[in-house]
Amino acid sequence: MTLHSSRAEARTDLLHGTLDMLILRTLRWRPQHGYAIGQTIRAQSSEVLQVEAGSLYPALQRLAKKGWVTAKWGQTEAKQRAKFYRLTPEGKQQLVREASRWTELVNAIARIMNPAAAPGTKE
Amino acid sequence: MPFDQDDFEDEIRAHLEIAKAERVADGATFRDAHQQARKEFGNITLTTEAARRQWTPWWVDALHDRVSDVRYAIRSLTKTPAFALTVVGALALGIGVNAGVFTMLKAAAVSPIAGVSRSASLVTVFRETTSGRALNVSYPEFQYLRDHDTAFSGLMGSVLAKVGLGRGRDSRSLFAEFVSGNYFEVLGVRAARGRTLLPGDESAPGRQPVVVLSDGLWRRDFGADPAIVGTIITVNNQPLTVAGITDPAFHGTSVVYDVELYVPITMAPALGFTFNSRESTPSTILADRQAGVFMPQGFLRPGTTLARATAQTEALGAVLARERPISESPARMRTVAFWKTPGGAPAVLLPTLGLLSAMGLLVLTIACANIAGLVLVRGLSRRGEIAVRLAIGGARTRIVRLLVVENVVVALPAAALGLLLAAYGIPLVIAWVERLAAPQRIFLNMQVDGLVMTFAVLVACGSAIVFGFVPALQSSRVDLAAVMNEVSPRGATPGRLRAALVVAQVAVSLLLLVGSGLVARSLDAARHANPGFEMKHLATVSVDVKQNGYDEARGRLFYRRLLDTVRADPGTSSATVAAYAPLAFVDQPSRHIAIEGYEPKRDQDLAFLWNMVGPDYFRTLRIDLAVGRDFADRDDETAARVAIVNRTLAERFWGAAANAIGRRVRLDGEDWRTVVGVAADVKYIRINEAPRPYVYVPFLQAYRPAMMLQTRGPAPSDVLVERARAHITALDGELPILSARPDEDRMDGALMLFTLSARMLSVFGVTGMALAALGTYGLVAYTVKQSTHEIGIRMALGASRSNVVRAFVGRGLRLGGLGAAIGLVAALALTRLLATALFGVSATDARSFGTALAIVLGGVMVATVVPAWRAARTNPLSALRHQ
Repeated sequence: MTLHSSRAEARTDLLHGTLDMLILRTLRWRPQHGYAIGQTIRAQSSEVLQVEAGSLYPALQRLAKKGWVTAKWGQTEAKQRAKFYRLTPEGKQQLVREASRWTELVNAIARIMNPAAAPGTKE
Repeated sequence: MPFDQDDFEDEIRAHLEIAKAERVADGATFRDAHQQARKEFGNITLTTEAARRQWTPWWVDALHDRVSDVRYAIRSLTKTPAFALTVVGALALGIGVNAGVFTMLKAAAVSPIAGVSRSASLVTVFRETTSGRALNVSYPEFQYLRDHDTAFSGLMGSVLAKVGLGRGRDSRSLFAEFVSGNYFEVLGVRAARGRTLLPGDESAPGRQPVVVLSDGLWRRDFGADPAIVGTIITVNNQPLTVAGITDPAFHGTSVVYDVELYVPITMAPALGFTFNSRESTPSTILADRQAGVFMPQGFLRPGTTLARATAQTEALGAVLARERPISESPARMRTVAFWKTPGGAPAVLLPTLGLLSAMGLLVLTIACANIAGLVLVRGLSRRGEIAVRLAIGGARTRIVRLLVVENVVVALPAAALGLLLAAYGIPLVIAWVERLAAPQRIFLNMQVDGLVMTFAVLVACGSAIVFGFVPALQSSRVDLAAVMNEVSPRGATPGRLRAALVVAQVAVSLLLLVGSGLVARSLDAARHANPGFEMKHLATVSVDVKQNGYDEARGRLFYRRLLDTVRADPGTSSATVAAYAPLAFVDQPSRHIAIEGYEPKRDQDLAFLWNMVGPDYFRTLRIDLAVGRDFADRDDETAARVAIVNRTLAERFWGAAANAIGRRVRLDGEDWRTVVGVAADVKYIRINEAPRPYVYVPFLQAYRPAMMLQTRGPAPSDVLVERARAHITALDGELPILSARPDEDRMDGALMLFTLSARMLSVFGVTGMALAALGTYGLVAYTVKQSTHEIGIRMALGASRSNVVRAFVGRGLRLGGLGAAIGLVAALALTRLLATALFGVSATDARSFGTALAIVLGGVMVATVVPAWRAARTNPLSALRHQ
């Protein structure tokens, strides 16, 4: 899955929501700057998900506007300047909601795609 | 926390630095690291833009798109000013014509009564006889309906009347309305000063001598005197106390005349109005159920339909008829929408306005076809641009949207220009009508107002979008490869569409020209038609002796003495008086008439127009008498009752004119009269009316306070008018002259609607033809331009200029011919609908068709030859190098 940096209206809500959820998840334990968020998602997905800057930064702005993250300039371990994003309490709640919604969705899709093997199905 | 662009750019720089540092750490050179980081990041501008968009509300976003579309449209239009100006001009003409017609239509049907909101939804109640004759409702009936008809939220009554204002030499005649007490309340009209009339002003006949003035009268005649309320003015020689001034916007409910006074209906008998009642005291006149006073009007109660109101009112009418049966002609109560009010101005005007609207729409159609053609041609010449846009990924919807926005950008100035045209044209029409009606004051609710503006903008945008959209779609359907590779850009479909547009314009303009030609020829025929009387050297001066307080005895004496003095004038060859003038244009009341020897069928309502005329009437008007004699001085109260009928009546009921003499007729409620003469038919109301039965009774055996003095003499009509006026003033200097004009003018008034439609249609015809010629020219010129290459080859191969011209003229004329043929067929089919509006020409009049055809083909010829000739002048070499 590649998230394109085309115009904002061209992307679907599902993709929107998913990218937002991934970002929130990445910020779960500690604040991170934009580049690091992209790298983390990439690494944790075993290089499957490439989050382009053109999607990432608008998404961060979106989350900031909703009040789920706050941003603050700081320094990296390599003493470089960077803007760090931190999850707010509302952001944490949102992540919980998103996560459970995601699980439901994945299960539902799995039940359709693979009825026999999917977890939670009754034979 | 709004979007902070500097901070965001800073963040991106930081991102790039970190990415770069990581790559350097991985062993890349500084330079490579920089490039890789940039490349990986992607488009910084787009990202910044997308980030910013997260903060802007969606509507700002959409608005921004539109604004940039509009900006772009304006920019690209200014690059082709000829195109833009032509489209604006064509559309402006189409809009101007339609806004003008709509303004008139508004005055008749949409908001006929100025100063009253939703006036078009007023509903009129009247009595209708079994033969469909509309009668006024009597005052007692009105009172009953007003108190019992729950279908209406309020039912008022008003009757237009001419009254004399003031005393003595300064007195003048003006329009008043006698109104029920709830008139202003029902209409929702307020007083600008003092108070309006109230229900309490209608409590008893003759008891409330009050009057409300119009704002205009107060300013013109009373110098806007702030202390006017409470003063006494004289109307028909009766003192009336001014109760108030109406709202300046209100001009009465007559739709056409400017009403200047409002008097309680209960005062009408005291001012000399008897409503054809045979009773004599004010209270008995108003209690007379034979005397039709007015047609009550009101707004329906919310939630009530016209059908339900009709049913209820008819039921109430039936109750009335059962309780106290009245007239000899059975009638029922009817309710109709205001514009259908019998004898009302809208009902008279609407057929003409309908015709004008239809023709106006034809002009707009041509303008739109014109625009479609231009847009199409321009779209074709912009194929390169559109192809490039599509190639670099421009969405098709976005390109179409742009083309549509371009059309709207053109539509708005066109609407403004069109409105300007209408705003300048309408006053000309009003001034013309005012001149015809003088000295009567006219008020037409014909201003170019918000409603007209909305109409113009909607029509302009609608036409621009609809007619700009289809060709715009055509343009967007571009074969990328073909255009980019510069293969011939001429597709088959746009070519056919283009041809179809030329054909359509030619056809519609032919239709227009045939229509306007037919109406112009009708007008001409009507002008020269024989109205049945001699208009030249005839003068008519009207007075109403009740305006100076005469009773019947004094009135009779006045008219007798007037006739004596006028006849004694050596400049008069003959003189008479009459109640109605021929060619009156305005409908007159007809009367129920019994004919000896003819047994009317059950429920048949035998009612004809009639006139009350003095001695020598037929000699004075030069109306031929087929048999018998004219009225004479000896036909007075003491003599046997006599009448004269017209030829149509005599032939219809007694077989021949000669059989009529000695037979008897009886007007409703009168004694039998013996027929002493049969007169030739006259055009009584309109020049295009069918022959109709008519009865004349002698003035000396009847009476009516409002009469016209008609004099004939060798002097020019203007002199006759002045002499007649002088005779009246000599007898009574205080009597207002209602109107004084030579009868030659009568034709102008009678032909008013004819003239109006003929003039407007000729403007429409010329406009339509000019537009069609312009459109044809544009499309032919375009075809020629597209064929420059072909022309070059032809000429290089030895074709002469005339050969080239002939080839293109041939193409143009073929299209023109096809259009003309279609137009002819359409005209033959459609002008039949015009038949009622025509006079003296058949709907298939060869001359009108021939002229229209010649003009159209001539126009097409010019529009084709000019561009073709210009093409032929091209140098073959430069033509070949063209592509």
